[in-house]
Amino acid sequence: MKWSYLGAAFVVVYFLFPLYILVLLAFNSPRYTLFAKFPSLLPIQLTLNNLESALQGSSFVDPFVRSLETATLVGVITLALAVPAGYGLSRLPRSIAYPVLTLLLVTNMMPAIVVGIPIAVEFVKLHIFETVQGLSLAQTLVTLPLATFILQGTFSSIPRDLENQARVDGADLLHRLSSVLIPLTGPGMAAAFLISWMFSWDEFTYAILLLPYHSTLPVTIYTDVTRGNLLAGVAFSLVFTLPVIVLTFALQKYLKGEYLSGGIKG
Amino acid sequence: MAFVFFPTVYAVYLSFQSHGGFSLGNYEQLTYFNLGGAILDTVGVTVGALLIQLALGFVVASVLAREFIGKRAVSTISIIPMGIATVVAAVTFSFIFQSSGGYANTVIHGLLGTQVNWYSNSIISLLVVMLADSWKNTPIISLILLAGMTSIPRELYFSAAIDGAGPVNRFIHVTLPNLRSFIGVALILRGVQEFNIFALPLILVGDHPPLLTTLVYNLYTTTFPEVGLALAAATVLLGFILVFIGVVLKLTGGSR
Repeated sequence: MKWSYLGAAFVVVYFLFPLYILVLLAFNSPRYTLFAKFPSLLPIQLTLNNLESALQGSSFVDPFVRSLETATLVGVITLALAVPAGYGLSRLPRSIAYPVLTLLLVTNMMPAIVVGIPIAVEFVKLHIFETVQGLSLAQTLVTLPLATFILQGTFSSIPRDLENQARVDGADLLHRLSSVLIPLTGPGMAAAFLISWMFSWDEFTYAILLLPYHSTLPVTIYTDVTRGNLLAGVAFSLVFTLPVIVLTFALQKYLKGEYLSGGIKG
Repeated sequence: MAFVFFPTVYAVYLSFQSHGGFSLGNYEQLTYFNLGGAILDTVGVTVGALLIQLALGFVVASVLAREFIGKRAVSTISIIPMGIATVVAAVTFSFIFQSSGGYANTVIHGLLGTQVNWYSNSIISLLVVMLADSWKNTPIISLILLAGMTSIPRELYFSAAIDGAGPVNRFIHVTLPNLRSFIGVALILRGVQEFNIFALPLILVGDHPPLLTTLVYNLYTTTFPEVGLALAAATVLLGFILVFIGVVLKLTGGSR
Protein backbone atom coordinates (compact mmCIF):
# COMPACT_ATOMS: atom_id res chain seq x y z
CA MET A 1 0.00 0.00 0.00
CA LYS A 2 2.79 2.39 0.90
CA TRP A 3 4.36 1.75 -2.49
CA SER A 4 1.17 2.75 -4.27
CA TYR A 5 1.25 6.24 -2.76
CA LEU A 6 4.95 6.63 -3.41
CA GLY A 7 4.38 5.61 -7.01
CA ALA A 8 1.38 7.88 -7.32
CA ALA A 9 3.41 10.80 -5.97
CA PHE A 10 6.13 10.09 -8.53
CA VAL A 11 3.60 9.96 -11.36
CA VAL A 12 1.99 13.23 -10.32
CA VAL A 13 5.32 15.08 -10.01
CA TYR A 14 6.65 13.67 -13.27
CA PHE A 15 3.63 14.70 -15.29
CA LEU A 16 3.00 18.05 -13.67
CA PHE A 17 6.53 19.46 -13.28
CA PRO A 18 6.97 20.75 -16.85
CA LEU A 19 3.51 22.33 -16.74
CA TYR A 20 4.41 24.01 -13.49
CA ILE A 21 7.52 25.43 -15.14
CA LEU A 22 5.40 26.76 -18.01
CA VAL A 23 3.07 28.50 -15.56
CA LEU A 24 6.06 29.91 -13.66
CA LEU A 25 7.52 31.30 -16.87
CA ALA A 26 4.21 32.88 -17.78
CA PHE A 27 3.40 34.51 -14.45
CA ASN A 28 6.68 35.03 -12.63
CA SER A 29 8.49 38.27 -13.25
CA PRO A 30 11.08 37.69 -16.02
CA ARG A 31 13.79 38.80 -13.60
CA TYR A 32 13.46 35.45 -11.85
CA THR A 33 12.86 33.30 -14.92
CA LEU A 34 14.25 34.29 -18.29
CA PHE A 35 16.98 36.65 -17.13
CA ALA A 36 18.17 34.57 -14.20
CA LYS A 37 20.99 32.13 -14.74
CA PHE A 38 19.50 29.72 -12.23
CA PRO A 39 15.79 30.48 -12.45
CA SER A 40 13.84 30.14 -9.25
CA LEU A 41 11.62 27.09 -8.78
CA LEU A 42 9.25 29.09 -6.61
CA PRO A 43 6.79 31.81 -7.57
CA ILE A 44 8.47 34.97 -6.23
CA GLN A 45 6.92 37.95 -7.93
CA LEU A 46 3.74 37.13 -9.76
CA THR A 47 2.64 39.46 -12.50
CA LEU A 48 0.21 39.57 -15.40
CA ASN A 49 2.40 41.93 -17.43
CA ASN A 50 3.98 39.09 -19.42
CA LEU A 51 0.68 37.81 -20.71
CA GLU A 52 -0.74 41.27 -21.27
CA SER A 53 2.12 42.52 -23.38
CA ALA A 54 2.33 39.30 -25.36
CA LEU A 55 -1.34 38.95 -26.15
CA GLN A 56 -1.81 42.49 -27.38
CA GLY A 57 -1.70 43.10 -31.10
CA SER A 58 -2.28 41.10 -34.22
CA SER A 59 0.73 38.83 -33.79
CA PHE A 60 -1.41 36.71 -31.52
CA VAL A 61 -4.95 37.19 -32.81
CA ASP A 62 -4.29 36.26 -36.44
CA PRO A 63 -2.61 32.89 -35.82
CA PHE A 64 -5.19 32.11 -33.14
CA VAL A 65 -8.08 32.72 -35.52
CA ARG A 66 -6.30 30.77 -38.25
CA SER A 67 -5.80 27.83 -35.90
CA LEU A 68 -9.48 27.93 -34.97
CA GLU A 69 -10.52 28.07 -38.63
CA THR A 70 -8.27 25.20 -39.62
CA ALA A 71 -9.23 22.95 -36.72
CA THR A 72 -12.94 23.50 -37.24
CA LEU A 73 -12.68 22.97 -40.98
CA VAL A 74 -10.71 19.76 -40.41
CA GLY A 75 -13.39 18.52 -38.00
CA VAL A 76 -16.17 19.28 -40.50
CA ILE A 77 -14.45 17.73 -43.53
CA THR A 78 -13.49 14.67 -41.48
CA LEU A 79 -17.01 14.07 -40.22
CA ALA A 80 -18.51 14.63 -43.67
CA LEU A 81 -16.27 11.90 -45.10
CA ALA A 82 -16.02 9.59 -42.09
CA VAL A 83 -19.77 9.21 -41.45
CA PRO A 84 -20.49 7.52 -44.81
CA ALA A 85 -17.20 5.59 -44.64
CA GLY A 86 -17.82 4.39 -41.09
CA TYR A 87 -21.43 3.49 -41.83
CA GLY A 88 -20.47 1.56 -44.95
CA LEU A 89 -17.71 -0.36 -43.18
CA SER A 90 -19.98 -1.25 -40.27
CA ARG A 91 -22.50 -2.81 -42.66
CA LEU A 92 -19.93 -4.80 -44.67
CA PRO A 93 -18.98 -8.33 -43.64
CA ARG A 94 -16.03 -8.47 -41.24
CA SER A 95 -13.81 -10.24 -43.74
CA ILE A 96 -13.91 -7.13 -45.94
CA ALA A 97 -14.18 -4.43 -43.28
CA TYR A 98 -11.23 -5.56 -41.15
CA PRO A 99 -8.53 -5.50 -43.84
CA VAL A 100 -9.79 -2.08 -44.92
CA LEU A 101 -9.58 -0.78 -41.35
CA THR A 102 -6.08 -2.18 -40.90
CA LEU A 103 -4.99 -0.54 -44.13
CA LEU A 104 -6.48 2.73 -42.91
CA LEU A 105 -4.33 2.52 -39.79
CA VAL A 106 -1.24 1.78 -41.85
CA THR A 107 -1.86 4.94 -43.86
CA ASN A 108 -1.54 6.81 -40.59
CA MET A 109 2.00 5.54 -40.27
CA MET A 110 3.17 7.32 -43.42
CA PRO A 111 5.42 10.13 -42.25
CA ALA A 112 3.83 13.55 -42.62
CA ILE A 113 7.09 15.01 -43.82
CA VAL A 114 7.25 12.49 -46.68
CA VAL A 115 3.61 12.96 -47.68
CA GLY A 116 3.67 16.71 -47.12
CA ILE A 117 6.35 17.66 -49.63
CA PRO A 118 4.66 16.32 -52.79
CA ILE A 119 1.42 17.81 -51.48
CA ALA A 120 3.16 21.17 -51.23
CA VAL A 121 4.35 20.84 -54.83
CA GLU A 122 0.81 20.04 -56.01
CA PHE A 123 -0.73 22.80 -53.90
CA VAL A 124 1.53 25.37 -55.50
CA LYS A 125 0.20 24.25 -58.90
CA LEU A 126 -3.40 24.33 -57.64
CA HIS A 127 -2.90 27.76 -56.01
CA ILE A 128 -3.95 26.53 -52.57
CA PHE A 129 -0.43 26.59 -51.12
CA GLU A 130 -0.39 28.93 -48.11
CA THR A 131 -4.16 28.75 -47.57
CA VAL A 132 -6.19 27.49 -44.61
CA GLN A 133 -8.31 25.32 -46.91
CA GLY A 134 -5.26 23.55 -48.32
CA LEU A 135 -3.81 22.90 -44.89
CA SER A 136 -7.15 21.55 -43.64
CA LEU A 137 -7.30 19.09 -46.55
CA ALA A 138 -3.81 17.85 -45.76
CA GLN A 139 -4.53 17.42 -42.04
CA THR A 140 -7.70 15.51 -42.88
CA LEU A 141 -5.41 12.81 -44.28
CA VAL A 142 -4.46 11.94 -40.72
CA THR A 143 -7.77 12.50 -38.95
CA LEU A 144 -9.93 10.66 -41.49
CA PRO A 145 -8.66 7.12 -40.75
CA LEU A 146 -9.00 7.70 -37.00
CA ALA A 147 -12.50 9.12 -37.29
CA THR A 148 -13.60 6.35 -39.67
CA PHE A 149 -12.29 3.86 -37.15
CA ILE A 150 -14.21 5.41 -34.26
CA LEU A 151 -17.45 5.79 -36.24
CA GLN A 152 -17.25 2.28 -37.61
CA GLY A 153 -17.24 1.07 -34.02
CA THR A 154 -20.17 3.29 -33.06
CA PHE A 155 -22.29 2.29 -36.05
CA SER A 156 -21.56 -1.40 -35.42
CA SER A 157 -22.88 -1.09 -31.89
CA ILE A 158 -26.35 -0.10 -33.13
CA PRO A 159 -28.55 -3.17 -33.53
CA ARG A 160 -29.50 -3.86 -37.11
CA ASP A 161 -33.08 -4.59 -36.12
CA LEU A 162 -33.54 -0.97 -35.25
CA GLU A 163 -32.56 0.02 -38.75
CA ASN A 164 -34.67 -2.73 -40.28
CA GLN A 165 -37.70 -1.55 -38.38
CA ALA A 166 -37.26 1.92 -39.78
CA ARG A 167 -36.95 0.34 -43.21
CA VAL A 168 -40.23 -1.52 -42.71
CA ASP A 169 -41.83 1.77 -41.79
CA GLY A 170 -40.77 3.02 -45.20
CA ALA A 171 -37.72 5.15 -44.35
CA ASP A 172 -35.11 5.36 -47.11
CA LEU A 173 -31.36 5.42 -46.42
CA LEU A 174 -31.21 9.18 -45.90
CA HIS A 175 -34.13 9.11 -43.49
CA ARG A 176 -32.69 6.18 -41.61
CA LEU A 177 -29.40 8.01 -41.26
CA SER A 178 -30.90 11.30 -40.20
CA SER A 179 -33.63 10.13 -37.83
CA VAL A 180 -32.33 6.83 -36.43
CA LEU A 181 -28.59 6.40 -36.81
CA ILE A 182 -27.18 9.88 -36.38
CA PRO A 183 -29.04 10.67 -33.14
CA LEU A 184 -27.91 7.35 -31.68
CA THR A 185 -24.30 7.87 -32.70
CA GLY A 186 -24.12 11.36 -31.25
CA PRO A 187 -21.40 10.63 -28.68
CA GLY A 188 -19.23 8.80 -31.21
CA MET A 189 -19.56 11.64 -33.68
CA ALA A 190 -18.73 14.18 -31.01
CA ALA A 191 -15.64 12.17 -30.10
CA ALA A 192 -14.56 11.89 -33.74
CA PHE A 193 -15.05 15.61 -34.27
CA LEU A 194 -13.20 16.61 -31.11
CA ILE A 195 -10.29 14.25 -31.74
CA SER A 196 -9.93 15.65 -35.26
CA TRP A 197 -10.19 19.16 -33.90
CA MET A 198 -7.54 18.52 -31.26
CA PHE A 199 -5.23 16.88 -33.75
CA SER A 200 -5.41 19.85 -36.10
CA TRP A 201 -4.94 22.30 -33.24
CA ASP A 202 -1.70 20.52 -32.31
CA GLU A 203 -0.48 19.76 -35.82
CA PHE A 204 2.90 21.17 -36.72
CA THR A 205 4.49 19.34 -39.65
CA TYR A 206 1.87 19.96 -42.34
CA ALA A 207 1.36 23.47 -41.02
CA ILE A 208 5.02 24.43 -41.38
CA LEU A 209 5.30 22.74 -44.80
CA LEU A 210 2.08 24.05 -46.33
CA LEU A 211 1.46 27.32 -44.51
CA PRO A 212 4.97 28.54 -43.72
CA TYR A 213 4.52 32.33 -43.59
CA HIS A 214 1.18 33.28 -42.03
CA SER A 215 0.66 30.14 -40.07
CA THR A 216 -1.27 28.57 -37.24
CA LEU A 217 -0.36 28.95 -33.56
CA PRO A 218 2.12 26.04 -33.26
CA VAL A 219 4.27 27.41 -36.07
CA THR A 220 3.95 30.94 -34.67
CA ILE A 221 5.19 29.73 -31.30
CA TYR A 222 8.09 28.01 -33.04
CA THR A 223 9.12 31.15 -34.93
CA ASP A 224 8.72 33.32 -31.83
CA VAL A 225 10.95 31.09 -29.75
CA THR A 226 13.63 30.65 -32.40
CA ARG A 227 13.73 34.41 -33.00
CA GLY A 228 14.24 35.13 -29.32
CA ASN A 229 10.72 36.40 -28.72
CA LEU A 230 10.61 34.12 -25.70
CA LEU A 231 7.93 35.66 -23.50
CA ALA A 232 5.49 35.78 -26.40
CA GLY A 233 6.21 32.12 -27.10
CA VAL A 234 5.51 31.19 -23.48
CA ALA A 235 2.32 33.23 -23.27
CA PHE A 236 1.02 31.81 -26.56
CA SER A 237 1.88 28.33 -25.37
CA LEU A 238 -0.22 28.75 -22.27
CA VAL A 239 -3.26 30.17 -24.06
CA PHE A 240 -2.85 27.52 -26.73
CA THR A 241 -2.77 24.72 -24.16
CA LEU A 242 -5.81 25.63 -22.08
CA PRO A 243 -8.56 24.61 -24.52
CA VAL A 244 -6.79 21.31 -25.14
CA ILE A 245 -6.58 20.44 -21.45
CA VAL A 246 -10.28 21.17 -21.08
CA LEU A 247 -11.03 18.96 -24.09
CA THR A 248 -8.79 16.19 -22.77
CA PHE A 249 -10.80 16.06 -19.58
CA ALA A 250 -14.03 16.05 -21.55
CA LEU A 251 -12.74 13.24 -23.75
CA GLN A 252 -11.19 11.17 -20.98
CA LYS A 253 -13.61 8.28 -21.32
CA TYR A 254 -12.85 7.95 -25.03
CA LEU A 255 -9.11 7.93 -24.57
CA LYS A 256 -8.95 4.46 -23.11
CA GLY A 257 -6.25 2.05 -24.13
CA GLU A 258 -8.78 -0.60 -25.18
CA TYR A 259 -10.21 1.91 -27.55
CA LEU A 260 -6.92 2.70 -29.24
CA SER A 261 -5.59 -0.84 -29.52
CA GLY A 262 -8.96 -2.53 -30.11
CA GLY A 263 -8.82 -2.52 -33.87
CA ILE A 264 -5.34 -3.99 -34.13
CA LYS A 265 -6.14 -6.83 -31.77
CA GLY A 266 -9.20 -7.58 -33.88
CA MET B 1 -6.72 5.54 -49.04
CA ALA B 2 -5.52 6.34 -52.51
CA PHE B 3 -5.62 9.80 -51.02
CA VAL B 4 -2.68 8.94 -48.73
CA PHE B 5 -0.78 6.38 -50.75
CA PHE B 6 -0.64 8.48 -53.88
CA PRO B 7 1.51 11.27 -52.38
CA THR B 8 3.79 8.67 -50.80
CA VAL B 9 4.39 6.82 -54.05
CA TYR B 10 4.68 10.13 -55.88
CA ALA B 11 7.29 11.24 -53.35
CA VAL B 12 9.39 8.15 -53.96
CA TYR B 13 8.99 8.60 -57.71
CA LEU B 14 10.03 12.27 -57.59
CA SER B 15 13.05 11.44 -55.46
CA PHE B 16 14.50 9.44 -58.36
CA GLN B 17 13.96 12.28 -60.81
CA SER B 18 16.64 14.77 -61.59
CA HIS B 19 17.89 16.41 -64.75
CA GLY B 20 14.64 15.38 -66.40
CA GLY B 21 15.00 11.63 -66.09
CA PHE B 22 15.50 8.68 -63.82
CA SER B 23 18.70 9.01 -61.84
CA LEU B 24 20.30 8.39 -58.51
CA GLY B 25 21.73 11.90 -58.55
CA ASN B 26 19.69 13.07 -55.58
CA TYR B 27 20.90 10.19 -53.46
CA GLU B 28 24.53 10.81 -54.42
CA GLN B 29 24.21 14.46 -53.45
CA LEU B 30 22.56 13.45 -50.21
CA THR B 31 25.72 11.78 -48.95
CA TYR B 32 27.32 15.23 -48.72
CA PHE B 33 24.80 16.21 -46.05
CA ASN B 34 25.92 13.82 -43.32
CA LEU B 35 23.17 11.33 -44.15
CA GLY B 36 24.90 8.55 -42.22
CA GLY B 37 25.04 10.61 -39.03
CA ALA B 38 21.39 11.57 -39.40
CA ILE B 39 20.38 7.92 -39.81
CA LEU B 40 22.42 6.84 -36.77
CA ASP B 41 21.00 9.63 -34.62
CA THR B 42 17.44 8.92 -35.73
CA VAL B 43 17.76 5.23 -34.88
CA GLY B 44 19.41 6.14 -31.57
CA VAL B 45 16.66 8.55 -30.58
CA THR B 46 13.98 6.04 -31.57
CA VAL B 47 15.46 3.19 -29.55
CA GLY B 48 16.35 5.38 -26.57
CA ALA B 49 13.01 7.13 -26.41
CA LEU B 50 11.11 3.85 -26.76
CA LEU B 51 13.09 2.30 -23.91
CA ILE B 52 12.51 5.29 -21.62
CA GLN B 53 8.82 5.38 -22.49
CA LEU B 54 8.32 1.66 -21.98
CA ALA B 55 10.05 1.76 -18.60
CA LEU B 56 8.09 4.79 -17.41
CA GLY B 57 4.92 3.44 -18.97
CA PHE B 58 5.31 0.29 -16.88
CA VAL B 59 5.84 2.33 -13.72
CA VAL B 60 2.77 4.47 -14.36
CA ALA B 61 0.61 1.51 -15.37
CA SER B 62 1.61 -0.55 -12.33
CA VAL B 63 0.77 2.36 -10.06
CA LEU B 64 -2.63 2.85 -11.71
CA ALA B 65 -3.37 -0.89 -11.69
CA ARG B 66 -3.59 -0.81 -7.88
CA GLU B 67 -6.35 0.59 -5.75
CA PHE B 68 -5.64 3.63 -3.61
CA ILE B 69 -7.31 6.81 -2.47
CA GLY B 70 -7.08 9.55 -5.09
CA LYS B 71 -6.63 7.11 -7.96
CA ARG B 72 -9.06 8.97 -10.19
CA ALA B 73 -7.17 12.24 -9.81
CA VAL B 74 -3.83 10.56 -10.52
CA SER B 75 -5.12 8.80 -13.62
CA THR B 76 -6.53 12.08 -14.90
CA ILE B 77 -3.21 13.84 -14.31
CA SER B 78 -1.40 11.03 -16.07
CA ILE B 79 -3.13 11.76 -19.38
CA ILE B 80 -2.62 15.52 -19.38
CA PRO B 81 0.61 15.45 -21.45
CA MET B 82 -1.33 13.77 -24.27
CA GLY B 83 -3.29 16.97 -24.60
CA ILE B 84 -0.26 19.27 -24.54
CA ALA B 85 0.83 20.32 -28.01
CA THR B 86 4.22 19.00 -29.06
CA VAL B 87 5.37 22.54 -29.70
CA VAL B 88 4.42 23.63 -26.20
CA ALA B 89 6.21 20.64 -24.69
CA ALA B 90 9.29 21.50 -26.73
CA VAL B 91 9.25 25.14 -25.66
CA THR B 92 8.84 24.19 -22.00
CA PHE B 93 11.68 21.69 -22.12
CA SER B 94 13.89 24.21 -23.88
CA PHE B 95 13.58 26.35 -20.74
CA ILE B 96 14.23 23.42 -18.44
CA PHE B 97 17.35 22.35 -20.31
CA GLN B 98 19.52 25.26 -21.37
CA SER B 99 23.15 25.37 -22.36
CA SER B 100 23.85 27.55 -19.34
CA GLY B 101 21.48 27.73 -16.39
CA GLY B 102 17.87 26.68 -16.80
CA TYR B 103 15.53 24.92 -14.42
CA ALA B 104 17.23 21.53 -14.52
CA ASN B 105 20.49 23.24 -13.66
CA THR B 106 18.83 25.07 -10.77
CA VAL B 107 18.15 21.67 -9.23
CA ILE B 108 21.58 20.27 -10.08
CA HIS B 109 23.28 23.44 -8.88
CA GLY B 110 21.35 23.34 -5.63
CA LEU B 111 22.23 19.71 -4.97
CA LEU B 112 25.73 19.34 -6.37
CA GLY B 113 26.98 22.87 -6.86
CA THR B 114 27.81 22.31 -10.50
CA GLN B 115 25.97 22.65 -13.79
CA VAL B 116 25.56 20.76 -17.02
CA ASN B 117 25.67 22.17 -20.53
CA TRP B 118 22.82 20.22 -22.11
CA TYR B 119 23.99 20.96 -25.63
CA SER B 120 27.73 20.43 -25.27
CA ASN B 121 27.72 17.34 -27.47
CA SER B 122 25.24 15.60 -29.70
CA ILE B 123 24.62 12.65 -27.40
CA ILE B 124 23.47 14.77 -24.48
CA SER B 125 21.34 17.04 -26.67
CA LEU B 126 19.66 13.99 -28.17
CA LEU B 127 19.04 12.80 -24.63
CA VAL B 128 17.15 16.02 -23.98
CA VAL B 129 15.04 15.32 -27.07
CA MET B 130 14.33 11.80 -25.81
CA LEU B 131 13.34 13.06 -22.35
CA ALA B 132 11.00 15.70 -23.75
CA ASP B 133 9.46 13.17 -26.10
CA SER B 134 9.03 10.64 -23.31
CA TRP B 135 7.22 13.13 -21.13
CA LYS B 136 4.72 13.83 -23.87
CA ASN B 137 4.21 10.23 -24.94
CA THR B 138 4.44 8.06 -21.84
CA PRO B 139 0.67 8.45 -21.22
CA ILE B 140 -0.35 6.63 -24.36
CA ILE B 141 2.00 3.73 -23.58
CA SER B 142 0.82 3.50 -19.99
CA LEU B 143 -2.82 3.55 -21.13
CA ILE B 144 -2.20 0.60 -23.43
CA LEU B 145 -0.16 -1.31 -20.82
CA LEU B 146 -2.80 -0.62 -18.18
CA ALA B 147 -5.48 -2.04 -20.44
CA GLY B 148 -3.29 -5.13 -20.79
CA MET B 149 -2.53 -5.44 -17.08
CA THR B 150 -6.18 -5.31 -16.04
CA SER B 151 -6.87 -8.14 -18.48
CA ILE B 152 -4.42 -10.52 -16.73
CA PRO B 153 -6.39 -12.80 -14.37
CA ARG B 154 -5.51 -12.27 -10.70
CA GLU B 155 -5.29 -16.05 -10.16
CA LEU B 156 -2.09 -16.17 -12.22
CA TYR B 157 -0.38 -13.87 -9.72
CA PHE B 158 -1.73 -15.79 -6.75
CA SER B 159 -0.55 -19.15 -8.01
CA ALA B 160 2.85 -17.67 -8.92
CA ALA B 161 3.12 -16.24 -5.41
CA ILE B 162 2.24 -19.62 -3.91
CA ASP B 163 4.95 -21.20 -6.02
CA GLY B 164 7.36 -18.83 -4.32
CA ALA B 165 7.89 -16.22 -7.03
CA GLY B 166 8.84 -12.77 -5.73
CA PRO B 167 7.64 -9.49 -7.26
CA VAL B 168 10.48 -9.42 -9.81
CA ASN B 169 9.90 -12.99 -10.91
CA ARG B 170 6.18 -12.45 -11.10
CA PHE B 171 6.78 -9.43 -13.32
CA ILE B 172 9.14 -11.32 -15.64
CA HIS B 173 7.19 -14.59 -15.84
CA VAL B 174 3.58 -13.48 -15.54
CA THR B 175 3.21 -9.83 -16.50
CA LEU B 176 5.60 -9.59 -19.43
CA PRO B 177 4.48 -12.69 -21.41
CA ASN B 178 0.82 -11.77 -20.99
CA LEU B 179 1.47 -8.24 -22.17
CA ARG B 180 3.33 -9.26 -25.30
CA SER B 181 0.73 -8.15 -27.79
CA PHE B 182 0.02 -4.94 -25.87
CA ILE B 183 3.71 -4.08 -25.83
CA GLY B 184 3.74 -4.79 -29.55
CA VAL B 185 0.87 -2.41 -30.20
CA ALA B 186 2.51 0.26 -28.05
CA LEU B 187 5.84 -0.17 -29.83
CA ILE B 188 4.31 0.07 -33.29
CA LEU B 189 2.20 3.08 -32.41
CA ARG B 190 5.09 4.96 -30.81
CA GLY B 191 8.00 3.61 -32.84
CA VAL B 192 6.65 4.91 -36.10
CA GLN B 193 5.99 8.30 -34.54
CA GLU B 194 9.48 8.22 -33.07
CA PHE B 195 11.09 7.94 -36.50
CA ASN B 196 8.92 10.87 -37.55
CA ILE B 197 9.86 12.96 -34.53
CA PHE B 198 10.13 16.45 -35.95
CA ALA B 199 8.86 19.42 -33.99
CA LEU B 200 10.72 18.48 -30.79
CA PRO B 201 14.22 18.21 -32.26
CA LEU B 202 13.60 21.19 -34.51
CA ILE B 203 12.87 23.40 -31.51
CA LEU B 204 15.22 21.83 -28.99
CA VAL B 205 18.36 21.24 -31.02
CA GLY B 206 17.63 22.75 -34.44
CA ASP B 207 19.83 21.08 -36.98
CA HIS B 208 22.74 20.12 -34.71
CA PRO B 209 22.83 17.18 -34.86
CA PRO B 210 20.35 16.62 -37.70
CA LEU B 211 17.83 13.80 -37.55
CA LEU B 212 16.34 12.46 -40.76
CA THR B 213 13.21 14.60 -40.42
CA THR B 214 15.01 17.83 -39.64
CA LEU B 215 17.41 17.05 -42.48
CA VAL B 216 14.43 16.65 -44.82
CA TYR B 217 12.94 19.91 -43.58
CA ASN B 218 16.20 21.77 -43.92
CA LEU B 219 16.67 20.54 -47.49
CA TYR B 220 13.02 21.36 -48.24
CA THR B 221 13.22 24.97 -47.08
CA THR B 222 16.55 25.65 -48.73
CA THR B 223 15.71 24.15 -52.11
CA PHE B 224 11.93 24.67 -52.50
CA PRO B 225 10.35 24.37 -55.07
CA GLU B 226 13.08 21.92 -56.17
CA VAL B 227 12.25 19.10 -53.80
CA GLY B 228 14.17 16.14 -55.24
CA LEU B 229 16.91 16.23 -52.62
CA ALA B 230 14.51 16.54 -49.69
CA LEU B 231 12.43 13.69 -51.07
CA ALA B 232 15.47 11.47 -51.42
CA ALA B 233 16.09 11.93 -47.67
CA ALA B 234 12.38 11.39 -47.06
CA THR B 235 12.50 8.12 -48.97
CA VAL B 236 15.35 6.92 -46.77
CA LEU B 237 13.19 7.73 -43.75
CA LEU B 238 10.22 5.90 -45.28
CA GLY B 239 12.38 2.83 -45.85
CA PHE B 240 13.38 2.74 -42.18
CA ILE B 241 9.78 3.05 -41.06
CA LEU B 242 8.62 0.20 -43.28
CA VAL B 243 11.45 -2.01 -42.00
CA PHE B 244 10.56 -1.09 -38.43
CA ILE B 245 6.88 -1.99 -38.88
CA GLY B 246 7.94 -5.32 -40.37
CA VAL B 247 10.35 -6.14 -37.52
CA VAL B 248 7.87 -5.32 -34.77
CA LEU B 249 5.07 -7.28 -36.44
CA LYS B 250 7.40 -10.26 -36.76
CA LEU B 251 8.66 -10.04 -33.14
CA THR B 252 5.21 -9.85 -31.61
CA GLY B 253 3.93 -12.72 -33.71
CA GLY B 254 1.56 -10.62 -35.79
CA SER B 255 -0.03 -9.51 -32.51
CA ARG B 256 -3.47 -10.60 -33.72
